[in-house]
Amino acid sequence: MIKKRLIGVVTVRNGWAVQSFGYGRYLPLGRPEVLVQNLDRWGADEILLQCIDRSISDAGPDFALLDRIARLGIATPLVYGGGIASAEQARAAVNIGADRVALDALLHDDPDEVAKVGYQLGAQAVIAAIPMAVTEDGPRWFDYRTRKYTALSDAVRNLLENGSVSEALIVDHRHEGMAGGFEAALLDCGISDHVPLIAFGGISDPDLMTDLLKRPRVAAVAVGNFLTYREHAVQAYKEALFSVAVRPAYYNRTVYP
Amino acid sequence: MIAADQSFCKRCLYSTQHALGLVIDAEGICSGCRVHEEKDRLDFEDRFAMLERLVEPYRSKSGRNYDCIVPVTGAQDSHFIVHVVKERLGLNPLLVTYNKYFNTPLGIRNLANLRIKFDCDIVIQNVNPVSVKAITRTTLRMLGSIYWPCLAGQTVFPVQTAVRYQVPLIIWGAHQGLEQVGMFSHEHEVEMSRRYRRDHDLMGHEADDLLSIFDTLREEDVWQYRYPDDADLNAVGVRGIYLGNYVRWDPKAQHEQMVSSHGYEGAAFPRTFDTYDYVDCYNYMDLHDHLKMVKHGYSKVTDHACREIRHGRLTREAALALVRHHESAPLRFSRLFEEWLGVESGGLEFIINQHRNPAVWEEVMPNRFMRRTRPMDASGDVATFENDLGFEAHSELGRSRDDGYITIGKGYPL
Repeated sequence: MIKKRLIGVVTVRNGWAVQSFGYGRYLPLGRPEVLVQNLDRWGADEILLQCIDRSISDAGPDFALLDRIARLGIATPLVYGGGIASAEQARAAVNIGADRVALDALLHDDPDEVAKVGYQLGAQAVIAAIPMAVTEDGPRWFDYRTRKYTALSDAVRNLLENGSVSEALIVDHRHEGMAGGFEAALLDCGISDHVPLIAFGGISDPDLMTDLLKRPRVAAVAVGNFLTYREHAVQAYKEALFSVAVRPAYYNRTVYP
Repeated sequence: MIAADQSFCKRCLYSTQHALGLVIDAEGICSGCRVHEEKDRLDFEDRFAMLERLVEPYRSKSGRNYDCIVPVTGAQDSHFIVHVVKERLGLNPLLVTYNKYFNTPLGIRNLANLRIKFDCDIVIQNVNPVSVKAITRTTLRMLGSIYWPCLAGQTVFPVQTAVRYQVPLIIWGAHQGLEQVGMFSHEHEVEMSRRYRRDHDLMGHEADDLLSIFDTLREEDVWQYRYPDDADLNAVGVRGIYLGNYVRWDPKAQHEQMVSSHGYEGAAFPRTFDTYDYVDCYNYMDLHDHLKMVKHGYSKVTDHACREIRHGRLTREAALALVRHHESAPLRFSRLFEEWLGVESGGLEFIINQHRNPAVWEEVMPNRFMRRTRPMDASGDVATFENDLGFEAHSELGRSRDDGYITIGKGYPL
């Protein structure tokens, strides 16, 4: 049986890891590479490194950061997101050290290029990052650059439907970083049932995490801020998820030569 | 000129070049000032009750072990922390302290006063000076830091002791990242982590990261600074909490209380107006402070000034005047460090200059540096500002002795 995953999220702004709240308020945390290395030691199932200011400033992907992280030799699969505007950049990110890429702005700007990324890297290496919010009109897709809501486009639905991307990262952007905030209604945003979903945004409570992971279409939950408040936060969540098929908590022991 | 992307908080004096990171919001107010606002919004009586509930399960049932571990020094909030732990929470703490070798007689006196007045057991860690000097040479050269061993020892020895004595609860004072740059809200109730220690206390480098085939530093020199394994921490259930999340943290008021109630003593420094912090060390407010200025473009007096602005005891203009007055004061004790480490003055200056931040300093002649244009000028009567603040010095660092490190200080006549 394929196990469900707990993904650790490291959000980077101006080169510095930050806590992010609702896509609009930030608190400084530290060096992204130190946070990534820590999540690796804690036994996170996957790490999402998202550089949130790269697309909005047309800076392109942060290859220098990715290179520094690649040199750490971490064992945990690494997803990179931020500033990827072409298949060439996505390939470069994977060549440097990412195992997968997460695409958000490109879904708005050029869905055909997303399909190209999926074709060149393989769909398993591509995640569609879809910030959403529950509005009066139901779940709506949020463009963080224009800060406007629209319906999820047919082009994006097609990408998910035809298997150009492997998973959809559903982000509750309003409740991102806020304890107990994730609105499960966002999972019913009209994406086909066979598309695996990753839930992210305000998931702090183990009971909510368990509820989400027990849903057949939820393949993973992603957690950012809440992994920075305690020692062994990943292991604590995993121990609380005893009724879900996740990799067990792992406590590292260093063997010195 | 200052780095192009540097911007300053409109309320305090910090900029986005802060060593711990800083975020400035759309209104021009920094994350540190925003989190500080919580001190006047949160109900700290409620929060102290939360703290009481949190520590209750850690009381030793048999009375034959300590309830908690409290890291202490001969300065900087230690008296107040032990006061809260022992006299308000009613816990039986084991005090632990790391010998940083740069001890002042006043620091030794304050530490003796602390353990006697509060009647606590204490464990002192002395790492052999040969290794400490070897590490100091490496970190000075590699990171521009003479303080890495002090920070590493102060942050790891309590954790090692918790594992060794099987006392899971460690109680620290304030969280530096929360207090200075608002890294966390008080309501996050952030706890001690190896990640934070590595990232900020140790400048990104744990003990084994210092080893290199291009250096003479050996594993035998650094193993004492290794963080306990996750498996060991988990087996004992070690967690470290910060009192600052539950007590309205105000170092000046706390020190004044401890001076009055428990006989804590402060001393004056040329490089800051605060007379209470770091009186236990010849280097922190001297050579270490100079290195901070060299690397980051600001020094400890800026930290003190920002804290006082946020507590409403200084205006921004007065704070800036105090910073400009103190931040470049001449060093008094670098000769002691040169003698201790066995380096020449010129050699030390050369190494320091290797770490000059080019965004702050311009080399106008070989080995001669000038500060680039300051973004803010200051004026005002510094003496009046300091008098109004009311920090008091009760002693000299040397307490009427010739200045010199007390490398092993077992006690002191009070």
